[in-house]
Amino acid sequence: MINVLTGINTTSSALEAERIRMEVISQNINNANVTRGADGLPYQRQQVVFETLLDQQSGGSPNSTTPTGIQVARIEKDQRAPRLVFEPGHKGADANGMVAYPDINIHEEMADLITAQRSFEANLAVVRNARMMAMQTLAIGKR
Amino acid sequence: MNPLSAIRLPVSPEMMRGAGMSLTPDVAPHAIPQYELGKLTTQALQPSASNAPAGGGFEGTLGRLVAEVANKDVAAKDAVAGLTSGVPLHKVMLANEESSIAFQLMVEVRNKLLESYQELMRMQV
Repeated sequence: MINVLTGINTTSSALEAERIRMEVISQNINNANVTRGADGLPYQRQQVVFETLLDQQSGGSPNSTTPTGIQVARIEKDQRAPRLVFEPGHKGADANGMVAYPDINIHEEMADLITAQRSFEANLAVVRNARMMAMQTLAIGKR
Repeated sequence: MNPLSAIRLPVSPEMMRGAGMSLTPDVAPHAIPQYELGKLTTQALQPSASNAPAGGGFEGTLGRLVAEVANKDVAAKDAVAGLTSGVPLHKVMLANEESSIAFQLMVEVRNKLLESYQELMRMQV
């Protein structure tokens, strides 16, 4: 197996993980005002947890502890309490006229989104550099 | 794209001798035999680790390089085809990039071989 682009598999796993992170954030933004999810409760904010993927997990030698990338370990539910808003006319209002909204702060989500985007870009920069290095190495043979 | 077309020229027997490649006597008259090339073309359509033709010396090395490049080409094609069935964009682009660079590496090897052949042909006797 020729390896023409250095570390491409690691970078690929990182890009994948960041993509999932962006998806989760977009889900948080989408559901910011959902008062009734599939379970009848307000939507709970979710966040991703990354972990290092070891060589043994990705089919390498069983005892190897060499990291070969990252992956999303799990998508956790944020356990913060819902935000109560006084809306007596709302269908989901309780006896006091309070409606439970998910406690999602759009600013926080946007900041997370920017972080995820920048991480994605950083990994793309790695790919760009690896590609440039490969091309320059190939140019050794040119006259 | 047929990766073999690029490599067919430089591995002609005269060329191999011309380039001063160390070949064992039994493989020297035919660098890559025609039947070997034929096998490569059909096998190269399936991506697999055992695609590479067995064989020692430079012939085998070159064959394995071509097979590897063909594998990467197939992987890239599969990735593009998989785009509609959920293969993420970055995977497709990376596979394409890898295939492209591997192909260029092969072309560079070909150019180098051809260059040395021409150099020898220009030699005054």
